[in-house]
Amino acid sequence: MTPFELAEPTKLADAVKLLDPDDPTVRPIAGGTALMLMMKAGVFRPAKLISLRGIESKYSGIAASGGGLRVGAMTTLNALERSADVKKLAPLITRTMLTLSNVRVRNVATVGGALAHGDPHMDLPPVLMALGAKLTVISPNGERSVALEDFFTGYYETVLEKNELIAEAHIPAQGAKRAAYMKVTTGSADDWPALGVAVVLDSDGKAIKSARVVVSAATTKATRVKSAEAVLAGKTVDDKLLAQAGDAAVEEAEFIADVRGSVPYKRELLRVYIKRAVRQALDGGAQ
Amino acid sequence: MNVSGEFTIKAPRAAVFDTIRDPKSFISLVDGIRDLKEIDPTHYQAVFETKIAYLNFKFNVSVEVTKLEVGEIAAKIEGTPLGVVGRLTATTSTVLTEVGDETKVAYSVDAALAGKLGSMGQPVMRSKAKDLEKVFVSRLRERFAQAAAE
Amino acid sequence: MTMTHDAPKAGSQVGRSVPRLEGRDKVTGRAEYTHTMRLPGMLTCKLFRSTVAHGRIKSIDTSEAKKVPGVFAVVTIDDVMKVIPDPYYGPAFHDQPILAHEKVRFVGEPVAAVLAMDPHVAEEAAQLIVAEYEELPAVYDEVDALTTKTYVHDVLKPAGTFADLKHLKDARDTNTALDYRLRKGDVDKAFAQAAHVFEHEFKTQKVLHLPFEPHASIADYKDTGVTVYTASQGPSFVRTEIARLLGWPENKVRIKVPYLGSGYGAKLYIKLEALVVALSMIARRPVKLALTFEELFYQITKHPSTFRIKSGIDKDGKIIARKCEVFWNGGAYADIGPRVTQKSGLTASGPYEIDNVWIDSYALYTNVTPAGALRGFGVPQLVWAYESHSDMIARALKLDPVEFRRKNLLREGRPHATNTIIKDAAVEKVMDHVLDRMNWSKPFDKSTGVVKRGRGFGISIKAVITPTTSVAIVNVSGDGSVTLYCGTIDMGQGSDTAMAQMVGEVLNVPTETVRVVPRDTDVTPYDMGTLGSRSLFHMGHAVQRAAADARDKLKALAREVGEPEGSNIPVRDLFVKKYGMQAGNVIGTGIFKPDYIPPAPGTGLSENVTAFWMVSGAGAEVEVDTETGHVKITKLVNVVDVGKAINPRIVETQISGAALMQLGFTMFEKMHIDGGQVTNASLADYKIPGFHDVPTVMDNSHVDTNQANGPFGAKGVGEVATFCVSPAIANAIDDAVGVRLTELPLNPESVYRAIRAKAGKPLEDE
Repeated sequence: MTPFELAEPTKLADAVKLLDPDDPTVRPIAGGTALMLMMKAGVFRPAKLISLRGIESKYSGIAASGGGLRVGAMTTLNALERSADVKKLAPLITRTMLTLSNVRVRNVATVGGALAHGDPHMDLPPVLMALGAKLTVISPNGERSVALEDFFTGYYETVLEKNELIAEAHIPAQGAKRAAYMKVTTGSADDWPALGVAVVLDSDGKAIKSARVVVSAATTKATRVKSAEAVLAGKTVDDKLLAQAGDAAVEEAEFIADVRGSVPYKRELLRVYIKRAVRQALDGGAQ
Repeated sequence: MNVSGEFTIKAPRAAVFDTIRDPKSFISLVDGIRDLKEIDPTHYQAVFETKIAYLNFKFNVSVEVTKLEVGEIAAKIEGTPLGVVGRLTATTSTVLTEVGDETKVAYSVDAALAGKLGSMGQPVMRSKAKDLEKVFVSRLRERFAQAAAE
Repeated sequence: MTMTHDAPKAGSQVGRSVPRLEGRDKVTGRAEYTHTMRLPGMLTCKLFRSTVAHGRIKSIDTSEAKKVPGVFAVVTIDDVMKVIPDPYYGPAFHDQPILAHEKVRFVGEPVAAVLAMDPHVAEEAAQLIVAEYEELPAVYDEVDALTTKTYVHDVLKPAGTFADLKHLKDARDTNTALDYRLRKGDVDKAFAQAAHVFEHEFKTQKVLHLPFEPHASIADYKDTGVTVYTASQGPSFVRTEIARLLGWPENKVRIKVPYLGSGYGAKLYIKLEALVVALSMIARRPVKLALTFEELFYQITKHPSTFRIKSGIDKDGKIIARKCEVFWNGGAYADIGPRVTQKSGLTASGPYEIDNVWIDSYALYTNVTPAGALRGFGVPQLVWAYESHSDMIARALKLDPVEFRRKNLLREGRPHATNTIIKDAAVEKVMDHVLDRMNWSKPFDKSTGVVKRGRGFGISIKAVITPTTSVAIVNVSGDGSVTLYCGTIDMGQGSDTAMAQMVGEVLNVPTETVRVVPRDTDVTPYDMGTLGSRSLFHMGHAVQRAAADARDKLKALAREVGEPEGSNIPVRDLFVKKYGMQAGNVIGTGIFKPDYIPPAPGTGLSENVTAFWMVSGAGAEVEVDTETGHVKITKLVNVVDVGKAINPRIVETQISGAALMQLGFTMFEKMHIDGGQVTNASLADYKIPGFHDVPTVMDNSHVDTNQANGPFGAKGVGEVATFCVSPAIANAIDDAVGVRLTELPLNPESVYRAIRAKAGKPLEDE
């Protein structure tokens, strides 16, 4: 690690001004759990880091508003895990937190960081995407809103410009929708997943009105599989329908091989876990 | 690490071959290659720069064309990343087959990355390779589409 | 309690679950480790490593690295050879250069060293070194290594320590670093007579130790002597080897070892010590090298192996012949691989009485990270094969797996394949205890749903590495307090506590009052090394003898000062009577080396091949998800024969630790290698078991036995519970879903692919 400059602005508006749209060696740092590993490995050598720890506290808070949640980008995963509002309005998130990384990481890692890092193995992106989250992104030129499903562009890559920061995430209330997130590991139980599947279903018993299905980890980015959603919409769940949804998802998703599994194996995992995730959501996903 | 695939181009095989065999034309199809230097008709040097999000990787690359026949091109590539200890070696083979009035391009790259990047970056590199392929195919198609329009 | 010199009450210290003496210091962060140690003026070393698996070094350009502000020096082998002209080291072969010399032989081999006060500066500068290589063909697979024309070393250089390596001196055009053989009876004739012949091949993958404290060594060189602080499991060997490299007497070399953050065999023999000594000689300052977790993947690993096993069975289910061919992938430098090859090779035919046995066991050089001992010295690789093989035979012949084994088990008083008569090896008792803990005789619900259940077990034997020597000193001070000097390294296995218990038992003092001196070769006497579960037996004997010697000397002192026979005078009063004040010492010494007869050349036979036998068994119940191949271990039973347990609580933690470590090697751990490069060389991508991987039920126990020739009836335990975990689980998977995996790890994709293949719908490759 070579010396670098550290800025600690106290306002988000100042922080984005310190960023450089053309210089990739100027980076924001929130919890730092991912960025520090990149620096330790020597693949990222910053000239300047902009710490976001000192920015306005409203960006570290969770508020229930307008039938949903407004979560500041600097909210720690631990705060998300323990929030009564989150548990009430989006219980899927609360359940996901239990197996998301470990308590040391959750204590410092932030919601904004977990999204902006763009690692396809993370648990929060598929879950928030399935819930239909939108992000407010700010830059010196103002702010814009980006749906999370349009946010990721590749492995570690997002639509964020180098002088843009996530300010907050808006998560619609889960309401009566049924939801499940299933994380499949093929190494140790606490390994990064080989596959993540999140489903959020608007359903009446086994009759599905509409579905949102997101695949992660086996793919280069968390991805909505709309063809599978289309298969499920307006149908009553049975084995055949779930198999069709699995086939559609496998056809649509772009898989990537790694030490956690080959592409053909990950395809099979997805077929099985689409089925299991829908069933889990219908069986108990509302709590 | 093996990356392979195939695609078709609406153009005769000889035309596709001419486009790919010419180094200058070829590198204009690949995202991130610059400063091409011809050492001799089968040996070249270049700089390959690629970025993954905010991470920049730059390699000094040397290429040896080991086979150049209508229908097949093979090459050996060696690269050294700058600023971090490592080594990229690859062999590539591209086979062109006539399918009606189109040309099927089948390629296969066997790449090995040693050093720090090789110990942690394989899935990312694999994903990057897919992106490079997409750019390559779209640029090649674009070129023949333009040629057809002219 | 006052120490007296009268006869102790048997069992007052030994057999008690004394809490670990160093436990409080460790959990409060006060224990000393090399990794966190600093010396005044110390330089830190960072390494520039090879990116080529096999190649000749054409040039090494260090000029840019030297320009980095704060860099003290950049060192290559040329600099090293100015201070150490013959820079090759190793326990079996002098084959490993301090830094790469002329050639590199694996990706990750140290090529140059950067020294700086600031480790970040050294790390940055190391990235600026450029080396050019002439790439040579490389060999990665152990079976290929036997026949290829690619040779990792031009000429073999046995260290001269081991008799069975002498014939390899100056050998050329070979990758074989040892060809061990055992020949008993006539296997060919027996195979011809057999009613059934079974032949299978098994493989194990490359995995590594991953000690919580990575390797770390500091050298402080002066012309009058060198002190090395090092995380080592064998300071005596380090001292001998450093003295040899420097051409010095051993007494100028001082090796100090604080507590170890585990070792598992990774820190045996000599690792970073030669390099830091050379660097300190060059820099004339203390130099420290502490590896990162990522660098562990380039230091030492377990041996991948291929084991071809063939058995002839007669019509009654008796094994009448067994042929074993074992190929050990030793990596680029032999390290202790040839010992693994021989010492485990001799038990390759398993815990069975077989009249005709043929064993070939090959240590092979390849172009990957060197392999050494890892919690079992090769035996887990063998048991994986022969206990999978046992079940496959029983299944094919429709024999009960218990009865098939029982018919063939090695029993007390019967000859092992080496011709050594089995003594104090509770093979059948351990097996019966496993079956009992598994409720084996009760019906078992295998389930008919998506998740299928199954169970399996295995049984194993190991011969402790023999002969080896341990020396101990017990010092009774003028106030009666007792200090133990022994070279056994406490790396978390609780040896300090166990040794102190033995001293306490003999001298009739509470274990907690016995001081165990931190390892320092200037004061602690010779010990061969903390390895292969040998210490409790060998050092235990030496400690027991040293304590008994001290007790005898105290008795003599009592007589000398006129105490009547049977006097109960406190020891401190004894010293006062002798010296007129609190003064003086009584020093007891103990040396232990077991009897041994070397295996006969050619046949490998010996009437006394080992000091003691280790025995363990394991049983597993699993649930297999037939849609994904995931295996959940619902019950893991581990049973070992340790003789009498010196400290039952520590025995239990050693059993569970060993079994869980092997569970990782069994289920998912694997170093992925592509073109010689380890592609998952980090803890992000190489995972070891965590708490959520612990089986739902874990049942650890030892059978009640007595090791007649052991100290207090005891023998070693550290590695024993690793042996049977892999075959027990593979046998259980077969029981559940009818597929047989012959290659580790048994990860979900492997299991799923086997299920698909069995159904006639194999999954495509990529």
